[in-house]
Parts: sequence; C-alpha cells; structure tokens
Amino acid sequence: MNPKTLKYILKRLVLGVFTVWVVITLTFFIMHAVPGGPFLSEKAVSPAAQAAMEAKYGLDKPLMTQYVTYLTDVVQFRFGPSLKQRGRMVIDIITDGLHVSAKLGIIAAFLALVIGVVLGSVAALRRNTVLDRIIMIITTAFVSMPSFIMGSLLLVAFTIRVHWFPANGASAGGLVLPIITLMLYPMSYITRLTRSSMLDVLGQDYIRTAKAKGVTGWKIIFGHALKNALIPVITYFGPMLAYIVTGSLVVEQIFAVPGIGRAFVQSIINRDYMLIMGTTIVLATLIVIMNLVSDILYKIVDPRINLE
Amino acid sequence: MKRLFALMLAATMTLSLVACGDSAKTGGDTATGSSEPAETTVDANVLNVSIASEPASLDPALNSAVDGATMLVHLFSGLAKFEQKADGSLELVPDAATELPEGVVNEDGTVTYTYTLRDGMKWSDGEPVTANDFVFAWNRAASDDLAADYGYMFEVVDGYDEVAGGEADSMNIEATDDKTIVVTLKNSITYWNELLAFPAYFPVREDVVANESWATDPSTYVCNGAYTMSDWSHNSVITLKKNDNYFDADSITMPEINFYLSDDANNMLTNFENGSWQMIDDVPTNEIAALKEAYPDEFVVAGQLGTYYVCWNINEDILPEGSGLSGKEAEDARAEIRNAISLLFDRNYIVDEIGQAGQVPAASFVAMGLTDADGKEFRENANGGKGGYYAVDTASLQSNFDAAIEVLKKYYDYDEASGQFTNFPSMTYLYNTSEGHKAIGEYLQSALAAVGINMQLENQEWNTFLETRKAGDYSIARNGWLADYNDPICFLDMWTTASGNNDVQFGKGAHQNVAAYSLDLTDLGYDTKVTDGTWAETYDVLISDIKTCTDTKTRYALMHKAEDLLMQTGAICPLYFYTDIYMIDSSVKGFFSNPLGYKYFMYCTIE
Repeated sequence: MNPKTLKYILKRLVLGVFTVWVVITLTFFIMHAVPGGPFLSEKAVSPAAQAAMEAKYGLDKPLMTQYVTYLTDVVQFRFGPSLKQRGRMVIDIITDGLHVSAKLGIIAAFLALVIGVVLGSVAALRRNTVLDRIIMIITTAFVSMPSFIMGSLLLVAFTIRVHWFPANGASAGGLVLPIITLMLYPMSYITRLTRSSMLDVLGQDYIRTAKAKGVTGWKIIFGHALKNALIPVITYFGPMLAYIVTGSLVVEQIFAVPGIGRAFVQSIINRDYMLIMGTTIVLATLIVIMNLVSDILYKIVDPRINLE
Repeated sequence: MKRLFALMLAATMTLSLVACGDSAKTGGDTATGSSEPAETTVDANVLNVSIASEPASLDPALNSAVDGATMLVHLFSGLAKFEQKADGSLELVPDAATELPEGVVNEDGTVTYTYTLRDGMKWSDGEPVTANDFVFAWNRAASDDLAADYGYMFEVVDGYDEVAGGEADSMNIEATDDKTIVVTLKNSITYWNELLAFPAYFPVREDVVANESWATDPSTYVCNGAYTMSDWSHNSVITLKKNDNYFDADSITMPEINFYLSDDANNMLTNFENGSWQMIDDVPTNEIAALKEAYPDEFVVAGQLGTYYVCWNINEDILPEGSGLSGKEAEDARAEIRNAISLLFDRNYIVDEIGQAGQVPAASFVAMGLTDADGKEFRENANGGKGGYYAVDTASLQSNFDAAIEVLKKYYDYDEASGQFTNFPSMTYLYNTSEGHKAIGEYLQSALAAVGINMQLENQEWNTFLETRKAGDYSIARNGWLADYNDPICFLDMWTTASGNNDVQFGKGAHQNVAAYSLDLTDLGYDTKVTDGTWAETYDVLISDIKTCTDTKTRYALMHKAEDLLMQTGAICPLYFYTDIYMIDSSVKGFFSNPLGYKYFMYCTIE
C-alpha cells in the first residue's frame, strides 16, 4: 500500500471518529429533549422509587455531567446497563441482536451481489432478447415492491398455504424467508446497475479491440468488461451492506426475527437512554466503516481514482 | 485484479454454503415438515405459546406486566395459588403454605397471620426453601432501594411506609423458625390471600439475587415453582421445563412450555394458523370478526378487570365566555356539563363496531368482575343499587341524548333549527398512537360534532402521551385502568390528590381551592360530615377511611360513596369494560386464566 493511500485511510478514520462523536452528541441531547422518560409507566411509580432509580443510573445529575460521564465510559467501551430490561447490559443486548441481524444481512447481501451481477451480465449480453426483458420485468417489480408486501406475500405462500418454513424467525429454518425478503431489493438493484454499466463498458473501444482480436462471449464479460462495469456496483454495495446488516425493522417485525433493528426501535419507544446510545453508536460506526471500505475497494478496482 | 474477483467469489460461495448449511442444519425439521402440515408434528409433551414480547424482567419483585406474571406463576411457588375447580371456577388454595389460616386481630386493629411452610420444599438448585426466603423477598420488594413498580403491593403490611421511605429495613414480618412466617397487616383486608398469589409476594433467595443479572440468564435463575427456566433466547423464546424439585410435581401434566416472544399480532396469528403455536394472547384487531367466524371454538373472550374511559382535565374551563359563574357554582356547572356529554356517546356502537372483542359497555368506573361485600359484582350495586350511573342499553340512547341536550341548553346557545350548539369552546382529545384508540377518538369526535361541539384529535407516541397526561397538559384524554387485585380500591385510591395516577388533576392547580364537594359518613358510624369541602377534605379523607376500615361491609359502603363522589364530578367518562381475547387450539385441555389475565399452562395436556 502506498503512503498516499495510507494517509488517506488514516484521515478518513479520524474523520470517522469525529462523525461518530457528532452522532453521539446529537443523539444524546435530542434524546433527553424528547418528552417522557425510562421510568414512566401507565401505573405511576412512587416519587421516592422514581428518585431512587434516577439516582441509581445517574439521571439525577445535570445533563452536561451525564454527557461527560457517558463519553468517558464509551471511550472505554462501557455501554452501561439497560434502563428498562433490568439486570441486562446494553452490550449483551446489542451483541445478541447484531449476531442475528448480521447473519441475516451478510447472507442476503452476498446472495444479492452474486445473483445480481450474474443476472445483470446475462441481461447485458443478451440485450433486447426475451431473456433480457424477463429479467428486467422481474427486477423492476422487485425494486418497486416494498419489503413489507414482499414479506407478507412470502409468509402467506410458504407458511400458511404450504408449511415449508415457520413464520417465526427464531425457530429452525426461520431465517430463510427473511433472507429472501431482504435480498430481493438489492439483488434487483444490482442487476439493473450491472446491466446498464455493462452495456456502457461493452460499447467502449477496448472491448471492441478485444473482440477484433477474437475474444468471445463470456470471456469478454469476465475477462475484460466486468471489472470496469462493477465500479458503480461497489459504490452501492458498501452502504447497502451497512444498511442491511444493521437490521431491517420491517423484515424483523414481519418474521419475528430477534435482530438489532427491533431492539433499536424498542429502545426509543421505551426511552431506554443507555440502549438508544449503544445501538446508535454501533450502527453509526458500522456505517462509517462500510463507507470507508467501499471507497477503498473503489480505488483498488479503478486505480485512476485519486483518493485525495 | 483477477485474484480479487476470485477471492470475492470464493467468499461469496463460502457464505452461501454457510447459509445453506445453516438452513440445512436448522432446516432439518423444515425438510421433514415440508410436505405435510405442521400439525402432524406437534409433540404432546411440549406446549408452544406466545403471550407477549420479551418481558422487561422475570424477577418476581420487579415484574409489573401481565405476561411476566404468567411466566412467574409457572416458575415460582408463593404461599397461595389459583386453581381451577371441576366446575371451571377458580379458587385460591395454599401452595408453599400448608394452609391459609384466618388472621388474628390485635388490640390496635392490626391483624397477624401465621403461615407454616410445607416440608421438604427445595429451590431449583436443591437448596431448601425457608421462611426467611419469604421474609427477605417481601422486604426487598417493598424497599426504596429496589424501587419496584409494584412495591406498593405491600402497602397493606404494617411497617411498609417506613421501609418504602428508606427509614427501616424490615416490615412487620418475621421468620420465627425455618418453617414459620408471621406477618402483621395494618388492618383486615379481604384480598390478602389473593395478594399472596401475586408475583411480588413470591420468595427469592438472598444469595441468588445478590447478582443483579440473576433473572436474565437460565444459569443463574433459581426458582421454587412448578417449572425451571431451561433456556432464554432473548427476544425469541423462553423455555420452561418441569421442575422435579417442586413438591407437587406429580400434578403438573405439561413437561415443557415454550413461551415465544413476539409483539406482532399478525405474526402470532400466522404461527397459530399454521399450527406452530397452540395458544396466542393477541390477534390483529381487524381480523377479530373473521376469526370469530373461522374459529368458534378456539377464539376465546374472557373477562378482565379493567375499564376503558375518557378523562377530563378538571381544570379545563369548558364554560362559555361570560357565563358569570365562579367557585362552587362554576364547578357544579362543569360537572353537570361533563356528565351530559358522557350521555351523548353510544357505548354499544363503540364495543360492537370498533372494539369487536366482546367488551361490555360501562355505566360505572369500577370494572366488571370486581366483587362486592355481598358476593355480587360491585358494579351491580353501584349508584345506590341502580347498577350504574346512566343507562347504556340501546333503548335509552334517545332519552340519554335528549337529557344531555336539555342540560347543555342551560349553559350554551342552541340553534333549534340545526340542532347545534354555537358557543361551546373548542377542545382537543388526546390519545396515544394506535388504530383502535384513533377509531374511538373519531367516533367521539363525530358524536360531538353532531351537536355542534368541536373536538380536535391529537395523538402522541406512548411515552410522550403518558407524560403529557400525567402533567395535566390536556383537555380530554383517552385512559384505561386494569386492576392489580380483586378489590375496588384499585380503581379508587388512584384519584387522591397526591396519587401519581391522578391524571384528572383532582385537588391540584385551581381545583385545590374549589369547595364543591359534600360527604356524609355519619350513617356508617363515622364523624365525618363535610358540606362544600375541597377534594382533599372529602375524597382524600374518604379513601384514607377505606384503607383503615376493618369492617368489610362498611368498607364496601365507603367505596361505593367514593365512586359516587368520583362519578358526580363527571371528570371520568367510562366507555367499556375490557375483555381479554386469546386463541387456544382445541387439542389443548386443562388450560385456564384468572381475571387478572394470568394464563396457567401447567395442568394442560395435548390430545
């Protein structure tokens, strides 16, 4: 790796840390500005009990003090206890959720990438044939269909009509349908992206040269065209992976998958300050890293790109 | 470059293989179940149910939810428990105690109970259960250190106030030996045995709960009930297995129960319909009508001790400008107006067309199902035996409406031609975001609009809503209340001035000095006789009298007076009594639930 690239990565990392700090600060103060609190419930807790709880978790201190304490803890990777699920640590809740969401997301993302690139290349190579049209129609449909509809349709078809898969993401085989639901959109998007950029590349001079020299069909695609055609796909893939891995609330809800997306939304509803902060930090960090990785990949695929 | 692609491809393939491997491994069951419906694979030794999402806590002292309580009654054995008799009715029977003796009334009016524990009871880790475990657990649950939502359930025990205030470590309870518990109550109460079956009263062991995370992990979860926790996969499933150390293990017929943790009614229904789960405690509201048709035997509507109501902010001035009324006259007028508006609503429409779950139109505030001193329902004796404060049958709809209009005409300008009031101040109805609450809000809005009263709707997200309503920052709001035990006081002591649940703001703000209430208890042997007193001088006094009253009949008479006073203000507008709807597969026998909504699966069998 040349020094210039290294410098670039370092710079981006510093910027990343700064970004996460900004996210922490904004979330912290906005979260406290929102009405309600973690110890509010339909049946009122006695003022003494409320005060005891606030003292226990340091919520009785001035907001600035709480902020500084929290930052100091986070720097040491201490995310504290959940305010709502008493006895559980935020880090355990995040690990549990992320474990499931990441498994789901990574599998879906890579299936989307492989199938998408292959379908896109096929469509480009067989441009304007029936095959191309079919691929385009199907992917257009998947791109335009929101995941809650797709998920519900799959659920009706495969768990109620035929009992192939359970409707509960936590049971055996329960992740199959969520993975498919999660995969269809990025897969279709990648197919379309690959197809158009492939068509672009196939029209370029160096491909014509290769053809003139006698290289044929698939060899042109995989040997010469794909590499350049993938540049837009890579730009899309990084953030997409981050998005998909950090949990899709809708899919997790429909299939009852115990992922981090649900934990995140639930933490906000519960005003579980510690869990809100913890999940926000983890998700923000993941997105920052994925973006960086995708930029670096970008550079590797296309050396002409100047990372400065 | 090629290497990069090769690497990416290899990575992808490995991952896909992992994926396939995973689904192949876990999908073992799926594969076998693929060609045949799941029903055929149901294991008679395992009951799969879903009652709610992840419980906030399974520490008996910290739990404050009905679903948590359901799991806890399977995991712990308190001094008493609910059992179903042959005729289907419920009774309280001794559980960890050998019997449930009568209390001994002391000279100062306090009542002392002495319980003896059964021989040979063990915790799930094999340690013996002692009287001290109960004493420790109760003091812990009541303490200010723990700050449990349900700490106030020990309010009836002598010495509670000192423990809750942090001034003492122990209430008036004692373990005189390993087997004997002596507890003294402030005064005699009718629902004491019921409290003993309540999760907050379950025992815990000091060395176990010293670990603050003990109740979140099966490996540290030590209990003494019919089941032990064998697995807790957070946010997904809690598995209970029969506890062989339980003294009455022979009568427990269900070896294993899986509590699937789901908060999505649609998902629950899907799992019920495809046979994966045998019991679900929630169904999508818009499916209720269809489900009642499709599953006449499986769809169950059970009673529940709760009331859905609308509450007014007592300090909201609804009188027209220039009414010239002040003080008691103004408050009496407002009360009359609020009560009149309550008559404009068709409660049958709300339950039949909107609720659709067998709810019962409410004519009083204390919920259906709570019993009176004479064994009848408290609500049947409400309002001096009239069975309610207004008529809720469809036949009375028109007369209610006419009466309401007559009252409102006294205060507002009425245009006879259009049948509309022209100077009723505009109001806002506050509710927490939910389709059901919205539908009810829209109905109330349309009913008022029909007579020219303009009411806007405003929804807030749950937590914000709670804060707004508690602070009294609203004019009218949606409200609901569920009893913690079968005693009307649950519905009455929440309206004292100092209560944290006093959303109406009785005795607060301007209402603090409003002297509009009268109370005469001389017929019940009390000295209290107040004319035109404030809320604090009347209602608060009445509630404290109820809490110290030792005579059951007098106590209930006092509670009826409290409800009368409450309903007279018109600040509470009951709409309906809640019901508990659930679905249970017809192959499951031996299931029952109690009026608090706890579900009992231990005596179930699957045929």
